[in-house]
Amino acid sequence: MTVMLYALSTCPYCRMTKKYLDENDVEYDVIDVDLLEADERTVVVADVKNLSGGTSFPVLVVGEEVIVGFNKAAMKEHLGL
Amino acid sequence: MRRRFAPGTTIADLKAYMEPFAASLGYKFNTEEWFVDEVLDSEIEILDATGDVYCPCRVRTGDPKEDATIVCPCIPFHNVQFAAMRKCWCGLFILNDVEDGADLLGVIDEPEKGAEVEVPVCRVGDLPTGSVRHAKVGKRDIALARVGDDFFALSNVCLHAFGPLSDGVLDGYTVVCPWHGWRYDVRTGTTDHPGADVKTYPVVVREGLVLVVTTV
Repeated sequence: MTVMLYALSTCPYCRMTKKYLDENDVEYDVIDVDLLEADERTVVVADVKNLSGGTSFPVLVVGEEVIVGFNKAAMKEHLGL
Repeated sequence: MRRRFAPGTTIADLKAYMEPFAASLGYKFNTEEWFVDEVLDSEIEILDATGDVYCPCRVRTGDPKEDATIVCPCIPFHNVQFAAMRKCWCGLFILNDVEDGADLLGVIDEPEKGAEVEVPVCRVGDLPTGSVRHAKVGKRDIALARVGDDFFALSNVCLHAFGPLSDGVLDGYTVVCPWHGWRYDVRTGTTDHPGADVKTYPVVVREGLVLVVTTV
């Protein structure tokens, strides 16, 4: 199952989510959206809007599930932790 | 020109600036102080890098107009969603009547469309009796009027030439448009010009706050 994290380098919930995934040995890809070059950022932000319906971070994509914010209960459920 | 935030701005400076601003809109800092400090610390990082205190949980698009809507505190721009969530996006600010802010940390669940919500727009003391002022409720512009201890909310836009009713004067229960004198009953939104009535919204007063009832 692919796990993808869209994050901002400045966001407390993003840091908490990364820490939680690391502590639970979850393999995931991460993009810090605010650190992208302007053109690339526009494309990725559009992807995030499509996925989550907004521009709040983090957005964690677990297979078909999209989790916005630091939502431990949802992560546990969908990552099978 | 004096900058709003000088170089070297501290967490204490941001708290002192934001607290009265949020209080006037019915919000307070989260009761979880460690979280408040963490968010404000991130905002100072963003301030140093970009020149303003953008929300650390939202992305800047590069469009100044759009990005202005996520300068902290961004409560006026998103007050309908926030009233439904009982907090701002990240939970730095929570509604005054939330006792334990810890319960609101983490999850960012945008409210469903159509849900009824009471949106705080100002404090009772901010609107003297016999006066009218502008309030923003989501994207809607509202004229908020006070007659005695009763509060009324109606669309701010006069349907004659689109003058701002909130700049008008109040004559009893009637607000007089400042542009050409069209008169609207603040209780019903009715005017004596055919087909030009404006929408009204229910208003609730609770714990010193004026709240306009609307839907997400």
